[in-house]
Amino acid sequence: MSSSQSLTLRQSVAIVWRTLRSMRTALILLLMIGLASVAGSLLPQWPNTPERVLQYRADHPFWGTFFDRAGLFDVFGSWWFVLLVTLLFVSLVACLVPRTRALWRNVRTPPMQAREIDAFPRYAEVAVAAGPDAAIEAARRTLRRRRFRVARDPDRPALAAEKGLAREVGSLAFHWAFILLLAGVIYGKGTGFSGLIAVVEGQTWVDAEANYDGTIRAGRFFDDFTGIGLHVKDFRSDFANTGQPMDFVSEVDLLQPDGSLLREESIRVNHPAKVEGLWIYQSSFGWAPVVEVTVDGEVVSSGPVVMDRDPAPEGVVEFAMPWRGVVKLPGAGAGGLDRAIELELWPDSRAFAALLEPGAVPQAMLVEFDPIIRFTVWEGVIGDLATNRLDSTVLDEVSSGIVGAERTADLADGAALAVGEEGSGSTISFPELRQYSVFQVARDPGVPLVLAAAILILVGLLPALYGSRRKVWVRADPDGDGSTMRVGGFALQRKPQFEDEFARLVDALSSAAGGASVPGRGDREREDREPEDRERVQTP
Amino acid sequence: MTDLQWARISNDAFNVALFAYLAAMVGYFVFLAFKREAIWQVSRAVAVVGVAANLVSIVARGLAADRVPWGNMYEYSSLLALLVVVGALVVVEGVYRVRSLTGFALMFSVLTLAVAVSFLYVGPGPLVPALNSYWIKIHVQAAIWGSSLFALGGIATIAYLVVDRSERRRLESMSAQTPPPIMGGAIDLDDPDVPADLVPDSAEDAETRPATRRLVPSAAGLDRLAYRIIAVAFPIWTFAVIAGAIWAQEAWGRYWGWDPKETWSFITWVIFAGYLHARATSGWKGRRAAVIALVGFVSLLITYYAVNLWIVGLHSYAK
Repeated sequence: MSSSQSLTLRQSVAIVWRTLRSMRTALILLLMIGLASVAGSLLPQWPNTPERVLQYRADHPFWGTFFDRAGLFDVFGSWWFVLLVTLLFVSLVACLVPRTRALWRNVRTPPMQAREIDAFPRYAEVAVAAGPDAAIEAARRTLRRRRFRVARDPDRPALAAEKGLAREVGSLAFHWAFILLLAGVIYGKGTGFSGLIAVVEGQTWVDAEANYDGTIRAGRFFDDFTGIGLHVKDFRSDFANTGQPMDFVSEVDLLQPDGSLLREESIRVNHPAKVEGLWIYQSSFGWAPVVEVTVDGEVVSSGPVVMDRDPAPEGVVEFAMPWRGVVKLPGAGAGGLDRAIELELWPDSRAFAALLEPGAVPQAMLVEFDPIIRFTVWEGVIGDLATNRLDSTVLDEVSSGIVGAERTADLADGAALAVGEEGSGSTISFPELRQYSVFQVARDPGVPLVLAAAILILVGLLPALYGSRRKVWVRADPDGDGSTMRVGGFALQRKPQFEDEFARLVDALSSAAGGASVPGRGDREREDREPEDRERVQTP
Repeated sequence: MTDLQWARISNDAFNVALFAYLAAMVGYFVFLAFKREAIWQVSRAVAVVGVAANLVSIVARGLAADRVPWGNMYEYSSLLALLVVVGALVVVEGVYRVRSLTGFALMFSVLTLAVAVSFLYVGPGPLVPALNSYWIKIHVQAAIWGSSLFALGGIATIAYLVVDRSERRRLESMSAQTPPPIMGGAIDLDDPDVPADLVPDSAEDAETRPATRRLVPSAAGLDRLAYRIIAVAFPIWTFAVIAGAIWAQEAWGRYWGWDPKETWSFITWVIFAGYLHARATSGWKGRRAAVIALVGFVSLLITYYAVNLWIVGLHSYAK
């Protein structure tokens, strides 16, 4: 009973294996991956455009929920996509293992002898002066020179030769390369990571987990941070007159974990810095005004405030939007309440001034020009200390005003203060405007493997597409003083080209054996004009 | 000359190329209808004028913008149109001696140029930083060459499907009526100067098709031509995708991120890989393989137009 059960199990395993082994299965799986990719490109995806996924879900509640459940908003990370890829690779391996074994066997066994040479699609007879053995020896040398693999028939003056294994070698290299590619991708994803950092000019960042902004995408087997330092000396942005960005550069010092200088580097778009396996990319940039706040004559906050922008409304360029940030002073308000100063930076005050005109169009602020900060002082309860925005429903506005660069304003009434003037003692000053540079820091140890796989794919593809396997047999029979040389052959691919090659080969074989270059008893050509690999004449 | 003058020359030459292609296209179709050698010669000359103007337009554009002239869709379209016509004239007419496809290749280029000038035109200007890399020479060039060859393969496939249909019809009506007429020996099959259009592909063809001067090669011939062109396009496309991945690693910090452009170039690659497997390994040929090639052609157009214009992704700047 148990034996019959295990037989069924074995049988079903065999059936599954046989199905996986067939190329049809592999192609169907590849097609399904292609279809999944279509869905992945038409629907917004969480990893690429999360805000569009949220928008879609808000616009289409039913389909949004349905697609989300089905994993269609993260096609390439969904379990079924991973399953399809896994099945494809299992199928690929199942295809490749027997083919590789067959190739190995083929390489090690000499070409097979044939008896009826005149039965091959290409066939020619030539009369040559040399005797049978000498003729075959000459043929062997001729074929060797043309890089055929040649095997002499031990029993009679005849030989078998073949050429073009590169086609199969290339095809196998191409296909195995995808296994290597997958290995490289998995290794890289497993041991690599990617994260964003924002560094203000003049500040130094150190590669450690706590120093990344937001989430780090780290692999399961990612081991350690390097402790490498990045000191940003200067950030520059260049724009053409049309407002088109031309260049973004961060001038940085790369530092050893002990703080000593490793080297200087200019990081720009398309020119990442590479250090200790870390790739550091110029990602974006922004403004970070240095703001100093005093309360009752005491400095309570001082330093650059990293600012960001609200998304631009329809029809407004993003560079026209002011930059926003908050200085939060927990417990600094009256009666132990929190105090917060909301900041709105206009790096180019001309844009701010222009907006005061009626019907003005917002202007892009591409360069620093008399920057100003509009500030609003709030008191109440600050909820989240980490965000760059305030919840004004739980806060009361105390005062507001404007402070220019290298100026000071009074927090109590928002009025500008002259140099040396103290006002109420609670002041805000704007000594300096700096920029910050956002970098993407990534490590992917799988890249060399993936690159090697890509090269193997290309190198294997060429012989796999253009190579052709050709087989040739030669026999010499005594004929008077000389002999009759019979040559037969066929090509598995590129048959029209083989016709010419065969004719030239017969010529060469004949002259090597001292024969007339004109074929002796007629060069017979078969009615075989099948042009392509394994094509048959179509019957309607 | 100033940038502005070069830009004007480029735009004028673009218009000349567009109208020369249009005239040549009409000429080639007239040639297909009336089968006069002289019409073909004139049409070809007009097409060559178009190629020259197209080339001048591209070079002048590069001089006006002071960079490689394939930095946006308008410029890419111009180069694509040029390569498709050159491919039709040099490879299809020159090497394979098939004259009947050139009209359709010209039609493709006319449409490409018309769309470019109507919807995609931007003045010559500097590259955005993301595109400013030597990889634009490698990746974009490979993509254009691969695309133009895939487009030619697609055109040959469409021609194949049309001819195959009419051949089947003729065969059916013939077998229903009289025995096939015997070929009159009007064409010397071994004469290398006889264009392939006029040479039947096999004995069967010669029997089923009498000695009318055939302009369009047999269905089997077109099928083979499409296969050969696609077999050349595929490695170039593979290289374009790989070069794109290397560039993405340099510019965006990852070699593959399923950006819509990456996704669609992969889909196109998958479809043509399927086509080559079907042809070379499982011995599919003819209509079933042609349908795959046609789907690949459509996918190519989506990869180029739809992804850049309608799907938001990292390649959107290349509009």
